[in-house]
Amino acid sequence: MPDAIGGHGPPYRFHRSRRATMEDSLTQIAKAVVSGLMMGMVFGLVALGLTIIWGVMDIVNFAHGEFLMIGMYCGFLTATGLHVDPLFGLPVAAVVGFLLGLACYYGLVRFLLRGPMVAQLFGTFGLMLFLRNVALMVMGANPRGLHQGILVGKSFIVGPGIIIELTKLAAGGLSLAAFAATWWLMNRTKMGKALTATALDAQAARYMGVPTEKMNALAWGLGGGTVGVAGALLVNFWPVDPNVGLLFTMIAFTTVALGGFGSIPGAAVAGLIVGLMINVAPIWDALSTCLGIECLRGGQLHEFKYSFVYLAFFLITVFKPRGLFGWKY
Amino acid sequence: MPRKTFTVVLLLALALAVPAMAAEEIKIGVLYPLTGGAAAEGKELRDGAELAVEIANNVKADVDMAMAKNGGIKSLGGAKIKLVIQDHQGNPQLGADLAKKLIQDDKVVGLLGAYHSAVTKTVASVAERYGVPMINDSSTSPALTKEGLKWFWRTTPHDTTFTNDLFVFLEGLTQGKVKGVKAVDKKELLPAVSACEKTEWGSNVDAAIKELGKASGFDPQVSLLYAAKAPDLSSEVQSLLAPKPGTMLFAGYGADAILMIKTLKSMKAKPKVIWGQDAGFESPEFVSTLGDDVEGIITRTVFSPRVGEVKKVSKQVNDMYKAKTGRDLSGASARSFTGTQAWVYVLEKAGSTKPEAIQKAANEIKIDPSELIVPWKGIKFATTGSDIGQNELGTGLIGQYQKGKDGKMTLEIVYPFDLATAGMIYPIKGW
Amino acid sequence: MEVLKRAFDFSDFPKVDLWVAGAVAVFLLAFPALPHSSLAMATMIQFLMFSVYGMGWNTIGGYGGQVDLGEAQYVGIGAYTTAVMMIRWDVPFWVSLPVGMALAICWSFIIGYPLFRLKGHYFAIATIATSLILKDLFESWSFIGGARGLKIPLKGDMPNFLYIQFRQDYYYYFIMLAFFFLGILYLNWFRHSRIGFQLRCIRDNEEVARSLGISAHWAKIKAYATATAFVAAVGSFHACYNFNIEPEDTMSLDLSVLIALMAMLGGAGSLWGPILGAAIMVPMKNYLGAWLGARAGLVGIDLIIYSTIIMLVAAFEPRGVWGLITRLRQRRRV
Repeated sequence: MPDAIGGHGPPYRFHRSRRATMEDSLTQIAKAVVSGLMMGMVFGLVALGLTIIWGVMDIVNFAHGEFLMIGMYCGFLTATGLHVDPLFGLPVAAVVGFLLGLACYYGLVRFLLRGPMVAQLFGTFGLMLFLRNVALMVMGANPRGLHQGILVGKSFIVGPGIIIELTKLAAGGLSLAAFAATWWLMNRTKMGKALTATALDAQAARYMGVPTEKMNALAWGLGGGTVGVAGALLVNFWPVDPNVGLLFTMIAFTTVALGGFGSIPGAAVAGLIVGLMINVAPIWDALSTCLGIECLRGGQLHEFKYSFVYLAFFLITVFKPRGLFGWKY
Repeated sequence: MPRKTFTVVLLLALALAVPAMAAEEIKIGVLYPLTGGAAAEGKELRDGAELAVEIANNVKADVDMAMAKNGGIKSLGGAKIKLVIQDHQGNPQLGADLAKKLIQDDKVVGLLGAYHSAVTKTVASVAERYGVPMINDSSTSPALTKEGLKWFWRTTPHDTTFTNDLFVFLEGLTQGKVKGVKAVDKKELLPAVSACEKTEWGSNVDAAIKELGKASGFDPQVSLLYAAKAPDLSSEVQSLLAPKPGTMLFAGYGADAILMIKTLKSMKAKPKVIWGQDAGFESPEFVSTLGDDVEGIITRTVFSPRVGEVKKVSKQVNDMYKAKTGRDLSGASARSFTGTQAWVYVLEKAGSTKPEAIQKAANEIKIDPSELIVPWKGIKFATTGSDIGQNELGTGLIGQYQKGKDGKMTLEIVYPFDLATAGMIYPIKGW
Repeated sequence: MEVLKRAFDFSDFPKVDLWVAGAVAVFLLAFPALPHSSLAMATMIQFLMFSVYGMGWNTIGGYGGQVDLGEAQYVGIGAYTTAVMMIRWDVPFWVSLPVGMALAICWSFIIGYPLFRLKGHYFAIATIATSLILKDLFESWSFIGGARGLKIPLKGDMPNFLYIQFRQDYYYYFIMLAFFFLGILYLNWFRHSRIGFQLRCIRDNEEVARSLGISAHWAKIKAYATATAFVAAVGSFHACYNFNIEPEDTMSLDLSVLIALMAMLGGAGSLWGPILGAAIMVPMKNYLGAWLGARAGLVGIDLIIYSTIIMLVAAFEPRGVWGLITRLRQRRRV
């Protein structure tokens, strides 16, 4: 075997002044925090649909991540199939998601409600596998990403080198808009009030003349629609493949658990926190460079970035099931 | 003696199942990833292997190779080679199961494959257990030949060789040996960072980079392992870009290589050198998806159509390949071609389909460099030392993506220095 | 002995069932002698493995009533314990098997104590969470090979009973068959034992059970420990059967899902249910896959069929295929 190259003098060490390192590190931390918050806004939107369904019906939708995946494919296909900008995919995904939610309710969930809780679990679980494998069959296992569009791949620099990617910024902004719209819907419209009533006490709502059956279907439709929009936003910077749902299901559950089941503002705040959680690794890297701590570097934390989310779910549900703003457990 | 017993048993079993001499058709089991993240490379591998079989089974006057002169295997009565191709989808477990099926149900004479080092590992295990010869054409994890397996041979050079090439190249860059570039100050190339996918292949590349880089001062300041299937690499890239690297080294399969470059672009990275350890960086999808963004990226490779200008037989085969598939030969297809070719020559030398005869032939064979389309010094498998079964005469190339006059992105050779076909673009444009 | 008597006490099953079970047992014993392809043998071994996985899952998922979607982490514990002990310290399989099971039980206690404060969906998702965390840990732990996994080298001549390394698959088949029969006997004892009775009470009405002094928390933890021991045992076998293990293959969520799915489909909460589920799904999976070949257009069709069946089962007969059979029988009696 050929020898490694012989040394040509002492290995070069990159020197930097201490102050420059501090500035750099702070910039790095700022970058990581901004990046995390932007992702967090999207996570919030993803979780929004889940918390609505959960709040209204106390049924867990295991297939939530798959709804997101379908929303992502809608966005992808609209952009590549019709050769239009990915932003046009948003209304398409919203409609498809809404219809999908309704279809799932009338086709499956309605029957599951009659059975034991275990059956509900199996049922949406089966739905998850079904949607995932249909996507696998139809779209193939290859990850698809969007490479063209008004916003795709472009970014601008803010301040001392903090890079803001346009796709993530738009996603964050539109998420906030979607949140605002949903909040307005739930609190200021008659329909929204009916939904909230069903969530608080289905029996009483029925006595008051609220058609709870339709409300349930509406919750599913709304949940599907919002997560469809989240998917169409996400696909601008996150490649879609049939298995992408699982990670987001876990993220959504953690976000909802943290924010409190059924709480809309809770989902928003929790989403931001989860976004930061995923970016712990570069934050730690920068922090430790700044303070001179050597342990845990070398990229090991990156491998656990999603594990933090799973761990958070575990700890929250065991020790603080109400979450931050929850009124229902 | 243990080996004698099971080879005798195998002999009996094979004698009952397959009449050794009079076989009209010789079946070789082939395992490639035809679906999944590396499907594009899988297709290339398949096309390369099939072309080799076509040449072996027929007389082709316009190719200057020994196997093109005969139809089929002469020493076996003109028996034709038949490839039984299975798709392992990049899943090592499935690969092992398919290998068992090929051996027991399809009764193949030997195995070829499997590209993913993690799959080759499990398939080689099966081959060793059943005493069936396997030639590995396309997996470069050094660990595969370190176990002293008796039924495993590898034609392609492995990552220790390739990574060594990398550091020789970087050193050469600082000494002005690279065509078209004046000697570069070492400070510009530091710090180095690396990110490799974390299975068998990538983690070995990571270890090789750390070990070999230390001696030349290029050892990476940040070195990460990531999951090839990861959908998002932004936090990894943030850590990579934090020390403002001069040299970025990568080892990734198809989809993740593309994602890595896209993420670098969105984070406005500006290193001086970006290097990829082949695989995803050489796949046709890489170029077609990223377009002009690949310009300036260098990758380890084993073949470039440019070799055809120096080696006649390479041009002849490349022309045939292009006529059949519309593409030039790549590192993947060239190696699968060579691996299949090795099978043909070994069978020719063995004169029999009995496993021990094949084993003996493989251990003794020496294929002349003029027979090969790749610019190696030949094929001879080591039988002693630490790398048993490894072809000792393989060499690597380093190529750089450059836009040709016709607007198409091609891989120009920049290493070995004396084989360089174009001046290197330095530094890379960045974003 | 009382234990053995209970284990062999199948008297509460209808005679028909016992005759069918007997016939199946004879078939299983005779199978290797019948002409078969390597795919058929692999299918049978997988069927046996998933039956035992399912039997283990059933302890907590069926009798215990808490759906567990994270059993794959115990497969990993069993497989890795055996592999590491074999590679580093030349420990024979039969010694590492109980060690693996013991480690699995320890881990099940560690996470089980907080885990069983959760119910229903939260429990299920928390099991997914712990499984994924453990998988991530294994992938970064270089002592056990990290994401590259481990490869068990051939330890001398085959057949090797100490390390269970064989060239012919039928040796593996009989070892797994032994596990299978032992598993059935154990579960039968479990069913008649005090802990089984406690679990049935809890499943019927937890409040009432608690009021009778049954500690629901501990009963479930004990059931969980049993489940994990079963699964870890098969995990150890899996390491030796495959010679190569890696976290992606032994501890993936897909495996957890398959285990739960098969048991649920067959009928969680009954003795024969998981076996039925495995008998339906494993051959379908392998043969559908082999029959359709690598035709990319139909990848995943087996899972589409199963998930549809699961949805139908969940909507109309949550007690699975076995529940269906029981219901049909009852109808006929009336």
